[in-house]
Formats: sequence, structure tokens, C-alpha cells
Amino acid sequence: MEILEHFVPEKIVPLNLSGIDLSITNAVISLWIGIAIALLLVFLACRRAKMVPGLIQNAIEAILQFIQNEMLGGLPPTLQAQWTPFIFTIFFLILTLNYLGLVPGTFAVTSNINFTATLAIIVFLTCLFASFKTKGFFGYFKALVPPGVPAFVVPIIFPVEIVSQLARPFSLAVRLFANLFAGHTIILVFLSLILMLKSYLSVLPLMGNVLICGFELFLGLIQAFIFTYLSAMYITEAVSLEH
Amino acid sequence: MGTLSFAGLTLAITAFGCALGIGWLSSKAVEAIGRQPEASGKIQTAMLIAIAFIEAIALYALVIEILLVFK
Repeated sequence: MEILEHFVPEKIVPLNLSGIDLSITNAVISLWIGIAIALLLVFLACRRAKMVPGLIQNAIEAILQFIQNEMLGGLPPTLQAQWTPFIFTIFFLILTLNYLGLVPGTFAVTSNINFTATLAIIVFLTCLFASFKTKGFFGYFKALVPPGVPAFVVPIIFPVEIVSQLARPFSLAVRLFANLFAGHTIILVFLSLILMLKSYLSVLPLMGNVLICGFELFLGLIQAFIFTYLSAMYITEAVSLEH
Repeated sequence: MGTLSFAGLTLAITAFGCALGIGWLSSKAVEAIGRQPEASGKIQTAMLIAIAFIEAIALYALVIEILLVFK
């Protein structure tokens, strides 16, 4: 278990509430720092919103506009404005945590399955309740079977659709977790190669490490984008009435 | 062969399939952009989404392999 030691959170303040482990680990502290950075950036951008936006305001407005017009493009404008904050929060939190995980000394929160699974379950429950609200409890199950399907196929399609609904949060969680996990493991492998070679040859893994770190910057953005794009797709499917 | 070699073989096979898939997908996307440069934004988004789905398969294999090696 030595190579994966990096991914196991260390307890800093042990806390045990009647059998439930609520200890403050270094993962929790990194999460708090990430939330603080994300809040601070958005606060700085929107505290005094100007007609001619500054650097941060410009970036955040571009992200918001992209989310509203591209990701949630299939919805009517009132619903777009209603769902943009939720999607933006997820996107910005994941992006900040992905980038914070690359800073030496911090814990990469998104490389922990508990965190990503929590996010995915939040998205899943939101979709579920939103579609209960728009379609009704039985309407939701009715909408699972596509229209125009012959009656004898319905008993086969219905369980398949249920399983595919349940597989969504699982695949969301595992995709984000495994990407970050694999990326950080590769960085660790390159770093240990530098220590192992102990000669001028260790320049090669050093160069590889720099390249991989640059790739990780790209990957952090892409993964945040994918997570939010899929969430937006599921929400669009849940909220819109007809297809 | 031990568990370790099986795990490596599993990852190699999955990586082979996923590399084929991603290569084919992106070559088609580049062709499409070449044919219709004005639609490049939409094509890129669709390509990234599909790549994420394919990549997830390789990553599932990686997770299973890690579970095999570090029980």
C-alpha cells in the first residue's frame, strides 16, 4: 500500500461522534481552502460589477455565459437562468479543487472517491426531484420508456433504463476520481524515477514530470467541464417535458 | 502468471481498445472540422464528451487493476 499512501487522508484533529468518524483530515482542510479560494474569486469579481469588466469579472462572465447558452441550451430561458447557479457552483468548485491539488503540500480532494461520489449523488438526487416536480412521480417512470415502443418490449426496456439511470452517478463519480487519481499517480512515478536514477539521466523524468504537470492543468479543466456538461445534460433531460 | 501480470495484461488490452477508439473518433472530428470549419465549436464539444466516455472505460480498468494489486 506504499505507492497509494499519498491518497489516504491523514487525521489532524480526531473527532468521533457516536461511532461516526468525523475527524478533520488534511483532505478536509484542503477542501476548506478550495472553497475559500473559489468564494473569494467570485466575490472579487462580483463585488463591484462594472459595465467594462476587469480580468476576473470577464473570465467569470464568460464561464457563466457559456453555461447558460451552451450547456443549458436545450431549456427555455427562464429555466436556464434558474439552473445556471447550480451548474456554475459545481464547475467552479471542481476546477478550483483540481488546480489546488496540483500545489505541493495540499491534498487533491477530487482524487478521493468519497468527495466525487457525494457530488455525483447530489446531482442525481437533484435530477430525480426536478423530474418528479415537472413530470410527476408516475410520469417520471413513464418517460423512461421511449414513445412508440411495442408493448411486448416494455418489460425488457424498463429494467435496462432503470439500471442506466442508476449507473449515471456511479460513472460521474468514478470518471472524475479515476482521472485525478491516475494523473497524480503518474506524477508520483516520475518523481520516484528522479530519486531512483541518481545520475544525470534523471533529467529525463524531470522533463517528463514538467510535461505531465502541464497536461494535468489541461485535464483538470477538461474533467470539470465534462462533469458539469453531463450534469447539465441530465438536468435538461429531467426538466424538459417532451422529446 | 501471477495477479500482477494479469493486471498489467488487462490494462494493456483496455488501453489498446480505448486508444483505437479515441484515435478513430478524433480523426473523424478533424475531418468534419476540415469540411465545415464554422461548426468547429460544436464538433469539439461533442468530441470531448465522447472521448470522456471512452476514457472512462480505461479508467474503470485501472481502478479494478489497482484493487487487484493492492488488496
